[in-house]
Amino acid sequence: MRVEKMERVRRRLLQEAVADNLDTIRGLPPRALRPRSRIWQSWIRRAPLLLVPLTLVASTYFSAHPRQTIATAAIAPVPIPVSRASLVPTPISSDLARTMFPEPLLQRVDAAAFPLAVKRVILDAGHGGNDPGATALELKEKDITLDIGDRLRALLKSEGFEVVTTRDSDLNIPLRDRAQLANESRGDIFVSIHVNAIVKHTASHGVETYYLGPTNDPSLTRLAAAENSGSGYALADLRKLLDGVYADARRDESHQLARAVQNHLFGRLSSHDAGLENWGVKRAPFLVLVATDMPAVLAEVGCLSNQKEAKMLGKPEYRQKIAEALYHGINAYASANDAPQKKGI
Amino acid sequence: MADTSEILHVGIDLGTSRSAISASNGEKFVVDSFVGWPVDMVARKVLKRNVLIGHDAVSNRTMLDLHRPLERGLLKEGSDKDVEAVRELLRHLLGLVGVSSNGKVDSSNVRAVVGVPAAALRTNKQYLRNTMKGIVDSLMIVSEPFAVAYGLDALLHTLVIDIGAGTSDFVVMKGRYPTEEDQRTLTIAGDSIDTHLLKLIGERFPDANVTIFMVREWKEKNSFVGEHKGRIMVTAPVKGVPTNLDITSEMRSACETLLGPTIETMLDLLSRVEPEFQERVRNNIILSGGGGLIRGLPQALETALKQVGGGKVRFMDDPVFVGSDGGLALALDAPESDWEKLSA
Repeated sequence: MRVEKMERVRRRLLQEAVADNLDTIRGLPPRALRPRSRIWQSWIRRAPLLLVPLTLVASTYFSAHPRQTIATAAIAPVPIPVSRASLVPTPISSDLARTMFPEPLLQRVDAAAFPLAVKRVILDAGHGGNDPGATALELKEKDITLDIGDRLRALLKSEGFEVVTTRDSDLNIPLRDRAQLANESRGDIFVSIHVNAIVKHTASHGVETYYLGPTNDPSLTRLAAAENSGSGYALADLRKLLDGVYADARRDESHQLARAVQNHLFGRLSSHDAGLENWGVKRAPFLVLVATDMPAVLAEVGCLSNQKEAKMLGKPEYRQKIAEALYHGINAYASANDAPQKKGI
Repeated sequence: MADTSEILHVGIDLGTSRSAISASNGEKFVVDSFVGWPVDMVARKVLKRNVLIGHDAVSNRTMLDLHRPLERGLLKEGSDKDVEAVRELLRHLLGLVGVSSNGKVDSSNVRAVVGVPAAALRTNKQYLRNTMKGIVDSLMIVSEPFAVAYGLDALLHTLVIDIGAGTSDFVVMKGRYPTEEDQRTLTIAGDSIDTHLLKLIGERFPDANVTIFMVREWKEKNSFVGEHKGRIMVTAPVKGVPTNLDITSEMRSACETLLGPTIETMLDLLSRVEPEFQERVRNNIILSGGGGLIRGLPQALETALKQVGGGKVRFMDDPVFVGSDGGLALALDAPESDWEKLSA
């Protein structure tokens, strides 16, 4: 019996090994990244929506055919009650976080297996044009991010990095176009600059850096939803994008980059602002991080909702400090990778 | 399609340090994964060959443009010379088991299974597939620890730890083809021990003239973790004079760099096994690859297992061919219809 069982296991393993090779030949993504389970989950989610019209049709039919209702009631299946809550569409952002990053994808692959040299940096100044982002004291997030981006670009260029910016003027560039530009420019890393505004906690202020990943934190889901608005992507596009992401290696690199940036942001800025809090490195499904092909992070370099910090962000000297902190973070990450290739040597 | 009466099935463990081949005609060979071309006409005249492979290449390295075409268990990309080196290495391995352009078995009759690190990406596998075009008729690529497990019939409730030169690969066999969550790859392996040992010896004996090749040889003879009886003495030139050096403590320190990451990865993978099967897996751990030859390593892993209820680590007596034998078993078991789909 045991021999037969092992023989079955051997045959199945062999079939799966062959199937895996055929997938490689056809250029398909790994099975773990395929949407099979998501299709199943999405059908489960949609089931209540299908039951509603079926229930309505059934009740109309029964009311129109009362005799038959009596006759068939005994064998008719009992309709499954559908609560109102189950009919409320799930917000896209939390839906994405749950369905597009199933837990198995979080298994870590050692990024040392894929050494990445950093030569070209893509800088993304958040918001712009008719999208001001956060505002306070007549300051707009879009202006602050653009100014810090300009300063950072100069610093990186002076040290031999190639820099591509997603915007260099007050324009509203859709997230999709920003990611497309980054990918077409074949950037090695992508750094998106943003400024926080936490209206409910104006007394506190801090810095935080994000990389692509799921989150169970509702506040981060809301933040991602806010930053993702006006992306230019349809949900179907996003699913395709996520299916194509080799999440492990890139996410690991993004995590390393986020840590380097956050360490320098907090380490350097806290010496100028004793009240600055370290909110750490976090994961969140920001679209701009999903759609870029290279290691990518989003840095929230300050907090406009805090009056003290808003005043500091209004000063060019402090914005220069932020640019320098970001530069040192990027440089630390680049140096830890393949230094000889960094400047095309 | 090849004439099935002349088909040769082979399993190949394409390793960073050594590559092994096991063939269905009973032949088995292992060679150092080095390929070298004579640097000039003089060298070619002295060596009387256009290309040298394996130990020959290492021995004559001063006259050669020497290439080690695999890095961390994967083909180096971007260098035509390294691609050519891998092709030479594969041709050489196949030649050793009787495949030749004018022999009874030529490349159009060869069906090969090649093991790669567990964390190899699809792009890596596709690259290997492209590189092997024209060298074999059909090709199946599998994760190396899976090949080991298949060859040993360790398909259920088993943890295989395959420590090679470029990578240390881990796989938990659950009766299914391993997914990413069942596998891990560490780049702390034989090569990283060599590099660390070379550094430690250089720090202690700054005037000693020691190369990575010498260090590799010393490690392969004397590697250990934990306690060691006696001293490890080696000879190396110090200011030109052959001198005996005691490298016992350096050897221990270098080899023990493997312990922490290996134990952490092993325990992490074990913790992810369904609770009712954890004890069975803990008692069924297989250590293979050249790293398995490190004295004291199975015992050190068993000591670490005590913190989670204890376990047994089995060491393969013949770690050199355990991967290629597993590949050969897969090659022989795959039906004709599957091989037709897997043409290289």
